[in-house]
Amino acid sequence: MKYLVRSQGFGATIGVIAMLAVFTVIDFSGWWTIQTLSNVTQFTAILALVALGQALVIMTKEIDLSVGSIYGLTGVAFITLEPSLGVPGSLVVALLIAAAAGFIQGTAVVKGELPSMIVTLGGLFAARGIIYVWTGGSVHNFSPDARTHALTRLLGGELFGVEAALYWVGIVSVLLAIMLWGTRFGNRLLATGGSRESAESRGVRTDHVKTTAFVLCSLLAGFAGILTLCNQPQTHVTLGENMELEAISAAVIGGCLLTGGRGSILGVILGALIVVSFRYQLIALGAPSSWYITFVGAVLIVAVIFNQKLARFLGHSV
Amino acid sequence: MTQNPLIQVKNLDLYFGAFHALKNVSVDFNAGELIGLVGDNGAGKTTLIRVLCGIHAPTKGDVFFDGKKVEKFHPKLAIDQGIETIQQSVGLCDNLSIARNFYLGREPVKRILGIPFLDFAKMREKSSRVIRQFGLRENVSADDEVERLSGGERQSVKIGRAVEFKNRVVIMDEPTNHLSVREREHVNELAVQLKEQGLLVIYITHDIFQVHKLADRIVIMENGEKVADASTDSMSAEALEDVIRQGGRVVEKEAV
Amino acid sequence: MALSAAKPLIRRHTEIGIFLIGAILIVIFASTSDGRWANLYNIGTIMQVTATLGLMSLGVAIVIGTGEIDISVGSTFGMGALAHLWLAARVDPVFAALVAIVVGAAIGYLNGWLITRTKTPSLIITLGTLMIFRGIAIALTDGFSFSIPYAARNGWTYSLLGGGDFLGFNTALFWLIATFAVLIVVLKAMPFGNRLLAVGGSADSAHSRGVRVERIKLSAFVICGMLAAFAGALEAGKLGFADGSMGRLMELQAIASCVLGGCLLAGGRISLIGALMGAFVLSSIQSYLVVTGVQPQWFILILGLIVVGAAYGDKSLRNWAIRK
Repeated sequence: MKYLVRSQGFGATIGVIAMLAVFTVIDFSGWWTIQTLSNVTQFTAILALVALGQALVIMTKEIDLSVGSIYGLTGVAFITLEPSLGVPGSLVVALLIAAAAGFIQGTAVVKGELPSMIVTLGGLFAARGIIYVWTGGSVHNFSPDARTHALTRLLGGELFGVEAALYWVGIVSVLLAIMLWGTRFGNRLLATGGSRESAESRGVRTDHVKTTAFVLCSLLAGFAGILTLCNQPQTHVTLGENMELEAISAAVIGGCLLTGGRGSILGVILGALIVVSFRYQLIALGAPSSWYITFVGAVLIVAVIFNQKLARFLGHSV
Repeated sequence: MTQNPLIQVKNLDLYFGAFHALKNVSVDFNAGELIGLVGDNGAGKTTLIRVLCGIHAPTKGDVFFDGKKVEKFHPKLAIDQGIETIQQSVGLCDNLSIARNFYLGREPVKRILGIPFLDFAKMREKSSRVIRQFGLRENVSADDEVERLSGGERQSVKIGRAVEFKNRVVIMDEPTNHLSVREREHVNELAVQLKEQGLLVIYITHDIFQVHKLADRIVIMENGEKVADASTDSMSAEALEDVIRQGGRVVEKEAV
Repeated sequence: MALSAAKPLIRRHTEIGIFLIGAILIVIFASTSDGRWANLYNIGTIMQVTATLGLMSLGVAIVIGTGEIDISVGSTFGMGALAHLWLAARVDPVFAALVAIVVGAAIGYLNGWLITRTKTPSLIITLGTLMIFRGIAIALTDGFSFSIPYAARNGWTYSLLGGGDFLGFNTALFWLIATFAVLIVVLKAMPFGNRLLAVGGSADSAHSRGVRVERIKLSAFVICGMLAAFAGALEAGKLGFADGSMGRLMELQAIASCVLGGCLLAGGRISLIGALMGAFVLSSIQSYLVVTGVQPQWFILILGLIVVGAAYGDKSLRNWAIRK
């Protein structure tokens, strides 16, 4: 029990239990139906991937506001390049674009010694601008061939009636968990966020660690974009708008402290579940879809205050 | 002595999260006294005076100032009561000029149509005088940002400010850090002068020999507790140093 | 040699950078647009955009001065615009603008209260309120827009609040000048300004000197909210209508203006005139893209590059000037 309270995902776990209880009791739209659950889990998986990347960056005590635009840009690149490169080719190039975006931003943060908020704010604009300029605002679609391509099915299809995205988020979170808590790099990443000076004094190249975190974050955001488009192969210029807000919310709800060095992978996934469920329920309730934005904002504030209080209660200095 | 102590600390406890920083500390400070507060790093002496000057509020216990119980802890209230503190690590804002730092929190104003405008002339005049008195470099003016100053010069500005605004209590936390030998003597002389003017001076240092020469009384803290409280007439510096040593051994044992 | 003589000047006035950029851009824009950019009508438009963005940037600069950040201003701007439009035709534009300012003050107070009470990073709290009030704004307008009937768009109070011109410029510009004058005096020549910058420079030091750090921060957020909402009211007066998306991405432009203008995000060092110049440069670029027929979408891309470039340039300039 004590371990559970101490783990960073505690708040999110309580949140999910409370939320599911409420949705079970006050059930407007058939919450426990296959249809609802499959939709909610699909969107949760996508958001969780973006939020996991965000969590890595937050653990190093930085923030990445550009994930929504990177998500959109990678997705747009994937679809737009497909006719000339084929599905595997455009997949690789799109992911390379995402990685490059992360690398450029990470380098600007550590080499330019600039606040990550400003750099990634710039990245948010720049990537969104590229989407507009590149597509000219037009809609792109996959050809029927590309839709049935094995790789597209693998990324966007279903297996045993479960969306592929779910398997992918499972694989990614296991890999991330192993990386964070089982490798030297993970140890260094947490140390970088916990206390940069101490990490550096022990010979950790915190600049490399941070750059890597930014690259991983952009890669995951891009991968999430590709998964979305494999499922519904159609782009629009606003793809991924406001996603950075949802991803930060999910990460914060999931117990990532903005003071760095702490986080929980399970918590982040549960955080994404909370964000997506509320969106789904509010829409099902017939509330104007905009209330959902309000709700995420309120949940974000409550979560950050709750997690901070919890951390202080446990004696962490935040 | 028949008078009430100016500051009376009773059974003070302070926790930072789970860390017990002050353990049941009780101590009296009288007006007209120069008290040396001595202890190793982490002994709790800075924490204690940070309670006195209102930065930290105690978890348990009371502080009485001039016989009245202190209900609220804030630096503003302490300063208004006449407690001037020379903090060790804080006190100056790098981005502001010396003159602006000097009067930070109690800026003199000239009212024009009831609107409070800063009285630049007064700010400049007084802070320039103090700068010269404390021998800062010739090319430093009151309008220069503190960022330009060396460690010793910063310390001089802080000391000058405290002396200028002296009221009833002056607390000096390691005042001679960063100072040259000559400046150090100057500061020590100032401490004695202030005491002779009837103020309470609390002088914090880890150098028992330095403060023993100046102080009327020495309070030794160790590991968050008060371990000794003796007048300098009754105990020699060497004897007091032994007390610190013993305290030190206790700490080592706990650490293992 | 001549450059190193300028070091002390640049050390104190990093906004010199943005003035140079502004001057160069004016020359380039004027000479490459066949008079489509540099004409009275277009300059007037730029000034109107500068005025509303500038009011917002001034508020954000004040908050940045305390070492915090407010990214909710885009939504506050929208809420101010809606409040103004809703009341301007029903009651009176002056009353409407006052209500808008009160709404802004309330949002600013909420931000400041949450941040100082819970000691939570302002980035996250204002990110939350950005979303909260954006959602409310969209819900209020219910997908349509608030507008003032053409017949009601007259009267001196209406044109006083962004709805008309004075001396050839939109009245918003004069509000900006007046606000700037007041704020610069408050910041440079009043105790509040001294304490505000002290809080941003070192909150611990300011606290130890008896400054009520939290009260100062709270006031900064309230000022920022008021200015953003007032800017929204002026913009609404100019357009005569607004929907729920009014002011979207404005928060980013306002922060960009501040960074361009040499405000240090760590706090304690801000330049109000620099922030205004930053707002002018952004509006000029936007207008240049429009008049030269470039897709306006390029603006977003350029804005992104400018933000990072400005932050880097400012940092380099400062480092260079500090070096002895």
